[in-house]
Amino acid sequence: MPSNPSRAAAIVAAAESNEIGYLETPKTDMMLAIEALQNVCREAGIGVHDIEAVFATTNANEIAEYTGMDPRWIDTTSIGGCSYEVHVAHALAGINAGMFDIAVVLNGQAGYSRRNFPRGGTSGPTRSMERVRGNADPQSPDTMYLMPYGVGGAPTLYSHAMTRHMYEFGSTKEDFAQVAVTTRDWAMLNPRAVMYSKETHPNGGEITVQDVLDSPLIAWPLNLLDCCLVTDHGGAVILASERVVHRFRGKPVWIDGAGEAMQHTSMLEIPDFTTTSAKKSGARAYAMAGMGPQDMELALMYDSFTVTAAITAEMLGLTRRGEGTSLWDDGKAGPGGSGIPVNTNGGGLSFNHSGRYGMMLLIEAYRQLAGIAEDGVHGVKGKQTAARSAVVNGAGGTLSATGTLVLTAD
Amino acid sequence: MAEYDKPAPFPDPFVGKPYWDGGKEGKLMLPRCTSCSKTHFYPRSMCPHCGRDTIEWFEASGYGFLHTFAVQHRGVGAWTKEVPYVTAFIDLMEGDRVFTVLRGVDPLKPEEIRIGAKCRIEWDQAGEDTFMPYWRVVEE
Repeated sequence: MPSNPSRAAAIVAAAESNEIGYLETPKTDMMLAIEALQNVCREAGIGVHDIEAVFATTNANEIAEYTGMDPRWIDTTSIGGCSYEVHVAHALAGINAGMFDIAVVLNGQAGYSRRNFPRGGTSGPTRSMERVRGNADPQSPDTMYLMPYGVGGAPTLYSHAMTRHMYEFGSTKEDFAQVAVTTRDWAMLNPRAVMYSKETHPNGGEITVQDVLDSPLIAWPLNLLDCCLVTDHGGAVILASERVVHRFRGKPVWIDGAGEAMQHTSMLEIPDFTTTSAKKSGARAYAMAGMGPQDMELALMYDSFTVTAAITAEMLGLTRRGEGTSLWDDGKAGPGGSGIPVNTNGGGLSFNHSGRYGMMLLIEAYRQLAGIAEDGVHGVKGKQTAARSAVVNGAGGTLSATGTLVLTAD
Repeated sequence: MAEYDKPAPFPDPFVGKPYWDGGKEGKLMLPRCTSCSKTHFYPRSMCPHCGRDTIEWFEASGYGFLHTFAVQHRGVGAWTKEVPYVTAFIDLMEGDRVFTVLRGVDPLKPEEIRIGAKCRIEWDQAGEDTFMPYWRVVEE
């Protein structure tokens, strides 16, 4: 008999790898994942072998083998940076169906270290283009009809969405720059953020709208400071069924709603450059939770670029259509601002972004709602908010797929 | 003529073959569904609009309209030496959309590039048997 899975499970622990950011000594995806796994189990007070279900992009099976797990549920859904929000949705369904009680959602990604690895492993889109005559799928639409035209990295494509938003709604580069400025204000309260200060990064510390506009053009209208970082990161969260949640020492953060959706894979197929499937995944998550955007006290939205977060704000009903950047106006979404706080860890723009940022959204959401988000150091005000509810939106691909969660604290 | 020094795909010898064959004659060939009459791109063996497999190919006008664009200042691979260049999505006159490097515009004056501008396809020889389509703004 189907039942609403709302609150069938909670997140009970969240942790990162020992080091994140620009690692001096390179680490692999697996090394970062295992560090995060060990840390999250320590925080949860369980052993690795207590985990019954494993969720990871591309390699849940490899992680289970490496760690000697004996999972009864293996999920390698890999649809970009939103995969981890989608993993939580799938875990919620599996727990609600009684298939398992304890799950880990895990990611290790050497976004920065990767560039120093010996060649010969898997290759990214730019390198695969050089091999395109060799062994590419002749029917891959991106290989055939998109990548020959000098694009590859995410900014080369997302920039087209920002141009269209500016055309349709009259938004400006200054409007989008405010997103980067306010997000930086949060990063300056997070000592683990790459852009925490001038000491942690030459471009770190306080920035202005003018600084964003003056930063190097990457793909007009995107400037460097409109773009997220590319760093190393490992992260993990533990989910527990309502039945066993009391066994954990961590405060439960309930999964009230979860939704997933996609609108395309290749940007050739985007129906509308100023929308994402967060409109659908958000509506599904709100409906499951019996809540709406007006009930959200915190928003954590994938900010691969300033434009990504702005469009997402519109899709989740946090602003009106075409006015996404208004959520950040005058620093409203920043520390001590008059609006709801947004991307309190410093975002992909200024905290960390390993390539698939959705894991970092989950970790920050858990810490905020569990009341343990205080990363402040002596003499520095921290980033903990009073929020009791949060909407979390992962975005994957090129504005392609989304996973939305509505989370609450008791 | 100058050697084509940009990446070019090995033309899809299966589903998209009529598109690439058309390029050799300077024609834009597109797939269309005879059940629902809608054009689609990229080429498929079934219609993404109605789900049927009743696909035919027809010669399109070769005209379209600029939907959106960006100016690439970093570039990728062999394109790096061309920066800045304008990439664009073109709404085809007959429906759906393609991607290209846009010609006939000034990459240093993006504010003057007009969304909605009429564009026309042109084909560059990229190999012995391969022609690559580009689009050019033909009216302001």
